[in-house]
Amino acid sequence: MKKNGLIKILISICLVLALATPFTIGCGPAAKYKIGISQLVTHPALDATRQGIIDGLAEKGYVEGDNLEIDYQNSELDMSLVATIAQKFVSDKVDAIVSIATPNSLAAIDATEGTDIPVIFSAITDPAGSGMVADWDNHPNENVTGVSDMIVVQDDVNLITQIVPNVKKIGTLYNAGEANSVFLTSKLNEACDALGIEVVEQTVSTSADVLAAAQALVGQVDAIWVGTDNTVVSGLEALIGICEDNQIPFFPSDEPSIERGGIAAYGFDYYDIGLQTGYMVARVLEADDGAVSIPVEKGEIISLSVNTAAAARMGVTIPQSLLDVAATTYEE
Amino acid sequence: MSKNNSLLQIREVSKIFSRGTVDEVIALDNVSLDVNTEDFITVIGSNGAGKTTLLNIVAGVYPPERGGKVIINGNDITNIGEYKHARYAGRVYQDPRTGTAAKMTVEENLAMAIMRGKPRGLRAATSKQRRELSRSVLAPLGLGLENRLNTLVGTLSGGQRQALALVMATMSKPAILLLDEHIATLDPKTAQIVLELSETIVAQEKMTTLMVTHNMELALRYGNRLIMMHEGRIVVDMNQEQKADLTVNDLVIAFERASGRKFADDSILLHHN
Amino acid sequence: MDFFTSLMSTSVYEGLVYGFVAIGVYFTFRVLSFPDLTVDGSFPLGGAVAAVLIINGSDPWLATLAALAVGICAGLGTSLLNTKLRINALLAGILMMVALYSINLMIMGRSLIPLLREVTIFDQVAQVLGMRADINLSIIVTVVLSVIVLFVLNWFLHTEIGLALRATGDNEQMVRGLGVNTDMTTILGVSLSNGLVSLSGALVAQNQGFSDVGMGIGMIVMGLASVIIGEGIFRPRKITTILLAVVGGTFAYRLFVGIALRLGLPPTNLKLITAVLVIIALAIPYIQKKLRHEWVPPAVRM
Repeated sequence: MKKNGLIKILISICLVLALATPFTIGCGPAAKYKIGISQLVTHPALDATRQGIIDGLAEKGYVEGDNLEIDYQNSELDMSLVATIAQKFVSDKVDAIVSIATPNSLAAIDATEGTDIPVIFSAITDPAGSGMVADWDNHPNENVTGVSDMIVVQDDVNLITQIVPNVKKIGTLYNAGEANSVFLTSKLNEACDALGIEVVEQTVSTSADVLAAAQALVGQVDAIWVGTDNTVVSGLEALIGICEDNQIPFFPSDEPSIERGGIAAYGFDYYDIGLQTGYMVARVLEADDGAVSIPVEKGEIISLSVNTAAAARMGVTIPQSLLDVAATTYEE
Repeated sequence: MSKNNSLLQIREVSKIFSRGTVDEVIALDNVSLDVNTEDFITVIGSNGAGKTTLLNIVAGVYPPERGGKVIINGNDITNIGEYKHARYAGRVYQDPRTGTAAKMTVEENLAMAIMRGKPRGLRAATSKQRRELSRSVLAPLGLGLENRLNTLVGTLSGGQRQALALVMATMSKPAILLLDEHIATLDPKTAQIVLELSETIVAQEKMTTLMVTHNMELALRYGNRLIMMHEGRIVVDMNQEQKADLTVNDLVIAFERASGRKFADDSILLHHN
Repeated sequence: MDFFTSLMSTSVYEGLVYGFVAIGVYFTFRVLSFPDLTVDGSFPLGGAVAAVLIINGSDPWLATLAALAVGICAGLGTSLLNTKLRINALLAGILMMVALYSINLMIMGRSLIPLLREVTIFDQVAQVLGMRADINLSIIVTVVLSVIVLFVLNWFLHTEIGLALRATGDNEQMVRGLGVNTDMTTILGVSLSNGLVSLSGALVAQNQGFSDVGMGIGMIVMGLASVIIGEGIFRPRKITTILLAVVGGTFAYRLFVGIALRLGLPPTNLKLITAVLVIIALAIPYIQKKLRHEWVPPAVRM
């Protein structure tokens, strides 16, 4: 009958496709190592990280196509795929999973539990806080390690004191719904307490709230610092406008924001973070116990970016000593 | 007309649609009617006369304007919700598809009807007992439906669905049966079958019935009372003796006399063979 | 585990766990004729509730049940908007879905809650059975849950109330005329449906190791695709086989996704492929009828 025939055809197509697939991937001589890279979404920072990972591995002798096979899967923000991809890597028995961004790292770690497949994460701000590792240095129970892009707020505060010598109050804006931001704000309070500086906080829920929140800080603070908060960074221009109008020096935490009009920041180049991760993956592949004994690292290559024109617009000058060491100087 | 035995009392019922706009229409204009137990009233009138509106108000689809009342067996049902009218009125619609559920089986449709007006619980909807009841109710129809309990209703013909709808409307004995041009869309042969079925069931169950029809001949032939409506009012109301020997022409004249204007509705006249 | 088995295992698990969503969608869209878009909001709601309760020390089974209960409330919201305020069904679902985005954020306090270090129902079952918490364990848990849910649903749809529910979607006017309060049946059906969807969200969050506020985006599409593919392949007629077909459709859909991944297809194309799959499934009956010269155009353009 037509109906049964149709079902049979569909099932046969499925079977053929399913069986044919192993022959379409990885044709050629058997690779020595197989790595699964799981990325959350196409995004310049994440893409740069991935490229850095591949180049870093190549530098250490693991070259794609040669002795290394890379299965790159991008879930494009589809959460249901995140778990499917992690499961696929586990079923494929890869030698290591590299995950870029939090949800896919969590899924990968969950899927590899009980197996001996190590997970190396990249560009995760707070791995301990999300339960990925018990402790940065000591995680004997977790076959997980990676490179964090956590910024050292202390260094940022020191930067502020150098450019705004008499700073007594530092204001900040952040989205209380972003876990990383809450964490960074607490670090800000820590660093400022140690220096006797008062912190004034304003929270926002959406980027549309940034203008009003910035307005509320006028006359209350000597400078404004903002961490890597996605919400505030989306509404950055509004904040910069208020700072320029009211001569409040503004210090973001990443380089693109300097270009948009912040004064100075220590930042990561995500490609460098990727490189660092690539080197780490190589160490994991060579270690007997995978990632267990390898401590989590912070991004090493921190570069200073400055914007002299922004400084002038906000009423301060950047000391020559900083200009000398700045990796990137913007003059608009 | 005696007033004791009054099953349905319609008191000063009006209905206005699109009030306050250019399209405002007075569908029912202060209609009052007493329906006695076991009356079989045929209702005729031109399009827009208000026949369906009257049925809708009895069925509870919408309430009458303030001041109007609908009372069945002493219960004031004027403003209760439509679904609460189920105990009081069973209805067969013009479209066979409206009275039955296409995606469910014959048995399941009848199960719904068996529970008319009763609270529904978590008992199994179909049981051996109900199946027997369904068969006993369907067999007299002579359509073979009693052997097709598991057939999906959507596959039945229009006539079969309408016969089923008729059974469903009268099962569990509502107080009044409303037939809303229920044979209008059927072919003459099937229409005849369903009409005879209607007559049989009404006589058997001693149902009080309101039958709306476009066909003056039928209106004269069936029932013990005839009502003619025009522009929202009842203009003719005759009992058995009065309509016994009338012809369609007589009816037309009676209408013109009562409403004071020439009878201009072709569709009714054309039905006269 | 060889390649074929691994593809099948993942698809079976996903077919079962997302099958609840498909059943919920089937319930509203087909049985009740109520196009309910709340799903994109009630799915992450289940994950959020379960996650928050678990990280605060609750027993994971209770947390999962709580997610089911809260999902029912979400459906209650949508159906009340529709029956009591007479807001169009489609709009009511969208409004509820939008509201739930904020509500989910409020419940979680942040956009993502990790569950790696927590004990989930999967962990508990693994312990009891002495197994690793791998894909096979996931399958066992979801099979048992699915069987229970399917049994209960099937029984319910054959009771008097269940029949009234099915009839409401089939012919609401007739049903009211037979004395059924269709407002009540609508509320009951939509609430139950969303309860199932939230249950699915709670299971998925516990199995994948985190609950994310964006988990639900695209769920309605997945649910619809699963229902339509299931109907297209299996052509069920009675309600019992329909429920099974819907889960089967979910399995087929996730199987295609798995195959697409292995063929190296970028996920951005996945949505297009989903659309194509659904188009094929919808077009097959029409094409078949045309070939047999049995096609009759409907009275009203659909």
